[in-house]
Amino acid sequence: MARAARDEASGGLADARARRTQLAAALAATRREFALEARQGRGGREAQARYAARMDEVVQQLVEAARVHSSRPLVVCALGGYGRRTLCLHSDIDLMILFESSIGRDEERFVNAVLQPLWDLQLVVGHQVRELADFDDLETGNTEFLLSALDARPIAGDEQLFARLEKRVATVVSEDHARSIDALLELIEQRHVQFNGTIYQLEPDIKNAPGSLRDIAAIRYLQTLGGERQEGERARSAGPVLEAEDFLLQIRGILHAEGGRDANILTHELQERVADALGYAGDTIRQRVEALMGAYFRQARTIARELTRAQRAARLPVEPTPPTPVGRHFEIAADGIRFADPATAGTRPSLWPELFRLALADGCPVSEQALDCIEQNLAQYSADDFAGTEAERQQIRTLFYPRPGLYARLSEMHDCGLLNKIVPEFAAVHCRVIRDFHHKYTVDEHTLLTIRGLETLWNPPTPGRKRFGALLEELRSPEVLTLALLFHDIGKAADADHAQESVRMARTALDRLEITADARQTIEFLVRNHLAMSQVAFRRDLDDPHVVAQFAHLVGTEELLKQLCLLTLVDVEAVSSTILTPWKEELLWRLYVETYNHLTLGYGDELVPQDPAGLAVVIAGRPDDISESELTEFLAGLPRRYLALFGLASIYRHVRLARGIRRDEVHAFLENHDEVWELTIVTLDKPYLFSNVAGVLSYFGMDIHRGQAMTTPGGLVLDVFEFSDEQGFLRQNPGATQEITRMLDRVVAGWVDVPGLLRGRESSVLFRRRQPEPPRLHFDNEHSQKYTVLEIVADDAPGLLHRISRVVSEQGCDLDLALIATEGRKAIDVLHLTKAGKKLVEHDRNSLKHGLERVLEAADETR
Amino acid sequence: MKLVKAIVRPNKVDEVRDALEKLNVGGMTVTEVRGHGRQKGHTAIYRGKEYDVTLLPKICIDVVVTNNVVEDVIQAIIRAARTGEIGDGRVFVLPVEQSYNIRTGEQDAS
Repeated sequence: MARAARDEASGGLADARARRTQLAAALAATRREFALEARQGRGGREAQARYAARMDEVVQQLVEAARVHSSRPLVVCALGGYGRRTLCLHSDIDLMILFESSIGRDEERFVNAVLQPLWDLQLVVGHQVRELADFDDLETGNTEFLLSALDARPIAGDEQLFARLEKRVATVVSEDHARSIDALLELIEQRHVQFNGTIYQLEPDIKNAPGSLRDIAAIRYLQTLGGERQEGERARSAGPVLEAEDFLLQIRGILHAEGGRDANILTHELQERVADALGYAGDTIRQRVEALMGAYFRQARTIARELTRAQRAARLPVEPTPPTPVGRHFEIAADGIRFADPATAGTRPSLWPELFRLALADGCPVSEQALDCIEQNLAQYSADDFAGTEAERQQIRTLFYPRPGLYARLSEMHDCGLLNKIVPEFAAVHCRVIRDFHHKYTVDEHTLLTIRGLETLWNPPTPGRKRFGALLEELRSPEVLTLALLFHDIGKAADADHAQESVRMARTALDRLEITADARQTIEFLVRNHLAMSQVAFRRDLDDPHVVAQFAHLVGTEELLKQLCLLTLVDVEAVSSTILTPWKEELLWRLYVETYNHLTLGYGDELVPQDPAGLAVVIAGRPDDISESELTEFLAGLPRRYLALFGLASIYRHVRLARGIRRDEVHAFLENHDEVWELTIVTLDKPYLFSNVAGVLSYFGMDIHRGQAMTTPGGLVLDVFEFSDEQGFLRQNPGATQEITRMLDRVVAGWVDVPGLLRGRESSVLFRRRQPEPPRLHFDNEHSQKYTVLEIVADDAPGLLHRISRVVSEQGCDLDLALIATEGRKAIDVLHLTKAGKKLVEHDRNSLKHGLERVLEAADETR
Repeated sequence: MKLVKAIVRPNKVDEVRDALEKLNVGGMTVTEVRGHGRQKGHTAIYRGKEYDVTLLPKICIDVVVTNNVVEDVIQAIIRAARTGEIGDGRVFVLPVEQSYNIRTGEQDAS
């Protein structure tokens, strides 16, 4: 090379270096200015647009300089957030370099000349190099590329070429509009799943989580893909979405400035800096952070709600179908159930819970029309306006029955303010942030997620969960468990012992909803002890029988054990998406099984305490007609479990029933609760007694669900049966209760042959069932000190309990205690047996087993 | 340096941690694990049905300590985790060649 040329070349290089140095200095100054503004809470949309414009100038200069390499038509576009002019301090610089024709060596040099200086400036550059022909066969399957093309904004180059690009993208979108939308909806879904589908994160990712900047972009994509149909929606939502976006951009500016990198997680530590930078009020940093996070959740909720609207609108059919009326007040439209007349509905708050109940029953969402109507009219009503009559209270109580869709509907109620209005005690933990290492969600959302966990147990996702799902199916009143979940953490509004505080706060809600005494006792127990099972399962030695016995004393009954076990499972799971490991599930299940076995196999060894201190509550509450000695005499010899099973009113009723009882007499009491009847009998023990009483109920067509049989060493028998009147005998016959008690009198007196009564009924075709499962019999001679415990699990059948207990008596065994349960189609009976006052020896057990197998197999054959 | 790896009962983790803190053991890694040793699980019965629980829940505690305190650490773990029953767990000791602090990049003294 000639010297002059070398001088010229080196001069050119020097100029280029000088330009780049100048460029770097100018960019650095811009970035410093941006960082300063961002730290002061002024790094929102305007600042980011200015930064994007400055970056445009940088790219334009580089493109101009690089033009020496290629003169072919090309356009350089900004994509993603940069394309939308929301460029934050450490955001990627996403560029697309589009050439009109095929890319050769010169174009490669051009690309290098544009990108290399950007890399030298320490910018993170995301780049795509395309030919226009790439867009000829652009497939909607490549959704992310399609979406980035929708955001493309020309910075430098040929504007006509850009116009051709826009036209091709628009053609692709319009030709395969439905697939584009489906693909986008799937992307949104996949992203939300990573965050457990909730906006209420304690340390939210403001770029990617639900209710974040990506959701704002998704709203706009959906509205763009929706075309003209979405114009109205776009105009309506523009204001609130822009406000939310500016809020998030301001936060993001601070996160980038403070973190010195592309940081998007609003950690607890950064919440303090952001709260101060944005000037939130409060005397303490905690108050300022709570104010910030309150504002954050409001904005995130706005975004989430607008996204839901956009998602629903995107799924609407092109040809709208008329809504289907549901009763007088409701109708089902394409986007969910709504009020037929919103103006009237606004003045009738009792219709609102009814709307959600119908949505649950029909498995559809609540429409935006209805949610708007509720939100606009909510302020004029108080909690009492929703629970003024028994019908209204009943409606609210039944809302909480766990079933698919409950979490979604409760979330809608929560977001529109209705849940807090109906249960103002829950409002105390609205968006409540509790900082700890494990919790990922606000207290209210954690609570709703527990209910979602319960709901998913109807269709358990893993074999490990199926066993817990089976417990849910066995619960007598699962809605009571949901209510306990709703209240279990409301005490976190205060700083005191939150379990006790939750009980205290729940009481006012339980009063307002007039929850029955039994359900109330259960809810208070579960709320008070909601941490007990996890503490024992994960921190105590489950091999230690004393640990299990202590826990069994706490829960008292299998029903409470099942409820506490499920509550614990879903409570742990709702802390974060990773905390409930199979390891913890296994420990929880193990504690459940050990405690269940203790309650059902070993309870006969522990009798009601005889010292007055142990009976203080029962003695203190006794009515005038019952003396202390009569009470203690009645309780003597009953299992301790008796006190856990029955409330005071029931205990005093039993005492009265036992008064003056003589051989061959029976004192009975029959009452009904909703669809379930309860028969209590007190009598003196005699052979075949339990079998005969069970036989009488079968004779009248009653389906026995549960039962307790207890015998004291003195021979006093207390049997309680719960059953349903399957064939309507009690419902349809005015004198039916007297007829049943008369029959019981005659049977106990020995005047009636019960097997003869039942002959014929048991082989009736009415009771035939398909695919019977083999019965399971298991003797346990170790668990109890006094009894041989026999567990029988068999397909339920009419008269089954009568036949089983009859075989027991035929074998010369005494049935001292019995727990009878029917769960689904299974009868689960636990019988505590003795023979001549002792446990059964092996020969007796084998003989009884064979006898029972014969009866159970015969039952199978009749089905 | 040694890596001391202790497999203990879940309910013993707090006691082991307290014992190690008393020896000024700086850090530890706690992992939920399942397995069996000679105990080989057991048979549980639920509603008359037997099922094998062959892999029992345990906790694995890993600590890296200097050679001069290894014996004290081992004895502290054994004292804290022992019940005397089958299933108390195991302690393993492995050599550690080098150790670095990721934040500072500094190598720890062996």
